Amino acid sequence: MTAGDAGLEFKVSDELAAHEPPEARGLTRDQVRLMVSRVNDDVITHARFFDLPDFLDPGDVLAVNISATINAALEAVREPHYGDARDVMLHLSAPLSTTLWVVELRRRAAKGTSPLLDAEVGEQLRLPAGGIAQLVAPYLPEAGGLQNGPVRLWIADLRLPKDALAYAARYGSPIRYAYVPKPWPLSYYQTVFSAEPGSAEMPSAGRAFTPQIVQRLIRKGVRIAPLILHTGVSSLEANEAPYPERYRVPQATALAVNTARSLGSRIVAVGTTVVRALETLADEDGHVRGGHGWTDLVITPERGLRAVDAILTGLHEPRASHLSMLEALVGRDHLALAYDSALDHHYLWHEFGDLHLIAKAPGRTP
Amino acid sequence: MKGSSKEKTALITGASRGLGLALARGLAGRGWNLILTARDEGRLRSVRDELATRTHVAAIAGDVTDPIHRYALAVLARGHAGIDAVINNAGALGPSPQPELLDYPVDVLSAVFETNVIAPLGVLQAVRSELKHGARIINVTSDAAVTPYSGWGGYGSSKAALEQLSAVLAAENPSLRVYWVDPGDLRTDMHQAAFPGEDISDRPLPEARVPAFITLLDSDFPSGRYVAAALGPAVVEAA
Repeated sequence: MTAGDAGLEFKVSDELAAHEPPEARGLTRDQVRLMVSRVNDDVITHARFFDLPDFLDPGDVLAVNISATINAALEAVREPHYGDARDVMLHLSAPLSTTLWVVELRRRAAKGTSPLLDAEVGEQLRLPAGGIAQLVAPYLPEAGGLQNGPVRLWIADLRLPKDALAYAARYGSPIRYAYVPKPWPLSYYQTVFSAEPGSAEMPSAGRAFTPQIVQRLIRKGVRIAPLILHTGVSSLEANEAPYPERYRVPQATALAVNTARSLGSRIVAVGTTVVRALETLADEDGHVRGGHGWTDLVITPERGLRAVDAILTGLHEPRASHLSMLEALVGRDHLALAYDSALDHHYLWHEFGDLHLIAKAPGRTP
Repeated sequence: MKGSSKEKTALITGASRGLGLALARGLAGRGWNLILTARDEGRLRSVRDELATRTHVAAIAGDVTDPIHRYALAVLARGHAGIDAVINNAGALGPSPQPELLDYPVDVLSAVFETNVIAPLGVLQAVRSELKHGARIINVTSDAAVTPYSGWGGYGSSKAALEQLSAVLAAENPSLRVYWVDPGDLRTDMHQAAFPGEDISDRPLPEARVPAFITLLDSDFPSGRYVAAALGPAVVEAA
């Protein structure tokens, strides 16, 4: 692994991808592995997720995303005169209104799907149960991007027999990429915190939590504070900035974060989604307010982190924006050390894989 | 049916009824791409279905006082490669019949200002980076903004604020054309609400004022206040 300007460079071989949920590998959710890395002394500990309470302190606030995953993948059929692929997938990413959604179109392949780039404005796709999606305009999260080039994400007008979330629940399936060969029911894509449907893809850092772990954390005095960030599709090209996403941070969560910070306790974000939401609402001193909206915040080492002291997250692909967020927390050198260790120890990548607790300051207990 | 950068795109708020609908129909007939918004989803859908046979229409239901909805308008505008005109037409009359100012519930007045003053500026802030050079901004106002009619203090003062806001915008943005336009009394649901139970059939239909708006969009008049009836619709029809 070398540290270039483009970020950490390494290769995630196929054996390092989690191809199925840990339950299918004979493990419980909380038996996935947990790498704990401390930046102050570069100590890296390899544990199991059920050991998590040992690495947290009374008073620490664990901020969790309570967004639930939706069946965002819908089978769609194109009209014959459009493009060469007829049977495609339409992935719901985020709603702009009750009927207008940001969607991604993908080709169906023998193994997974791949981006479909030749769709056109005005094109109508047939969805299950008489639903129709009409492509209204390209979705261009960055000004000037893509204007005359191929379009991957669209703003689509959905004409459905029922409300889009109810429709997806009935006719859709969870979004799945090629590294997960078999379909799994939606319940495999929910966490113990999932409450409000809206995420196109699972906020996966919370997946390993079980009621027993939550119970042990509460007994220890760790506070759990909820927020919502509905994830959009994650099928970004390398080095592409993450899309804007919808979030809501309750006043009570902001208060819990600010109180803990004033007492010297740590804010531990469960997942990059939580980091994005909290940091969107954090002022320069790390004081967080409640609020809701869309965020296009991208955390870079230059921007830095203001409110979050530690992140529990999965292992990320090279050149992913998530890595730049982790680098903002602990710096390139420590991150390189940790990822070297994860590769050496054959950690598993992706949403069904292993986890990494990464902190800039040590807890009070080792 | 297809959007292209050669065609012009207009964003119209309050597009499901009255003047907003008439303007949408008028611009559709002239080949403009349309981004339409209104609160009433069902009505907006039927407007979309009607106009989609004539031009490219993106219809998005929502409330312009909601920043999340205004963000969605900006996303749509970007998808259309920028916009040539914003018509801030959505407005709130306030209670019907309208109370005199000393009886006016101030929380309702606040909501009227939210819709008639804050939201139009909020829309412009949201789409500012999507405005093409020389884009036309039309803020729909009223003679009640400049004439102190009894009973029109809430609506009238909000439109007066919108006019001053428009004038300052024009001063601050010489690259834009900002027009605040009094369409005159029209036979609309809002006008009927202002005169509950009265016969307003002597007022012209909103379609009568569309040519005046087209004149403003097609010409290069200086920013300023315009009275639609004075813009000479007959001349425009001949053009």
